Amino acid sequence: MAGMELVSDQGYRIDGRKPSELRRIRCNMGVFTQADGSAYIEQGNTKVLAAIYGPHEASNNMRNRVCLDRGFVNCEFSQATFSSAERKKRSRGDRKGRDISAHIKQTFEAAIRTSLYPRSQIDIYLQVLHSDGSLYCACVNAATLALIDAGIAMKDYVCACSASLTKGSSLIDINHVEELAGCAEFSASILPKLDQIIYSELNGRIHQDELGLLVDAVSTGCRDIFAVIDQFVRSRLAETASYFTHS
Amino acid sequence: VMCDQTMCIPGERLCSSEQYQAGRGTYVRHGSVFATLAGRVERRKESGDNLLLIHVQSVHSQQLVPEIGAIVICKITQLSSSYAKCKILSVRGSYLNTSFRGMIRKEDVRSTNRDKVEIYKSFRPGDVVVAKVLSLGDASCYLLSTAENELGVVIALSENGDAMIPLSHDQMQCPKSLIKENRKVARPQSDYLSF
Repeated sequence: MAGMELVSDQGYRIDGRKPSELRRIRCNMGVFTQADGSAYIEQGNTKVLAAIYGPHEASNNMRNRVCLDRGFVNCEFSQATFSSAERKKRSRGDRKGRDISAHIKQTFEAAIRTSLYPRSQIDIYLQVLHSDGSLYCACVNAATLALIDAGIAMKDYVCACSASLTKGSSLIDINHVEELAGCAEFSASILPKLDQIIYSELNGRIHQDELGLLVDAVSTGCRDIFAVIDQFVRSRLAETASYFTHS
Repeated sequence: VMCDQTMCIPGERLCSSEQYQAGRGTYVRHGSVFATLAGRVERRKESGDNLLLIHVQSVHSQQLVPEIGAIVICKITQLSSSYAKCKILSVRGSYLNTSFRGMIRKEDVRSTNRDKVEIYKSFRPGDVVVAKVLSLGDASCYLLSTAENELGVVIALSENGDAMIPLSHDQMQCPKSLIKENRKVARPQSDYLSF
């Protein structure tokens, strides 16, 4: 990727976006009937399915994680063999998958009102169908929608976005090519209405002075994602509301 | 119940906590009531409270877990001399997607003559029982109690497989074979079985 310009002289990125522009987001809720909650999200070419089971009694191999005063989150992340350019069989417990699932578990234990579900387990299953950068972020956004679909109490939405730095300016919602360029990648999850950052991760090295720029870029990106998701959930609510008044 | 048609989403500020008392599906933070679910906002007057209760009715499935003091409906799965094990099927009248394990100890079967209770004369596997959650118990199951007149067996099948009719607080009869069987029979009341 050496010598490749992430932002052209005209100010556009490789995929034609402006530096502060998100990829197109499309989402859907309730895609599975068997799960308690499910959702599908597309952020550009990154496509993720999420399914929620629970809260239910802890399964046998999770007995040691039961807390008497609150519920716990179990997250499993898997990537389809056909999800990336190189066809690759990925086992469920590979390093990348373990990292992402641990991070998502932390994120949602901070956002779900776990004290309402003592001794219970909430499962988040994530399946990546197409991987084109910002996987963690797409997974968090999909899981948020699925949790809303499942009717699990949360303090707020969780929205996640990633950003990168090139030549002193920030790029948000980075894709696979931009990830490969080797710049530092910063991802964060925020609670948009409570204005809290509940998770942040930085891959690569940046100068201390540039961190503020990245955090600002990411929180703007999260708010933009929130606006899209919020609009979708509200329209879905309005649809179900009519059914609600008749029952 | 006052239902306005306002819909809310998780994290939305609903009102000041001085105006309303926070109910199901909401929480209080910095003196304001926030929603935790996506759904319809309902305001309701609770008896004995001068504050209106605000709560959020989820439009999607509602996720419940048994809590202390809740009335649950369960099905007996296993008996031993000191306890009966059961599957909790519903909590406060809402059907659960997945069952939770519960246990009724010998001491908690009835409120009188506690030491004379025999589990085999109180329940049979397959009986449907209305019970109250005593405590969250240990990690493996919830502790339930049927030590009230309104609690106990509501549906039981005789050995022939016919639904039995309650005769008294401790007996049920098969309408076909007229055989009487012992049970801890509930006197069902409408506020305990809200279906």
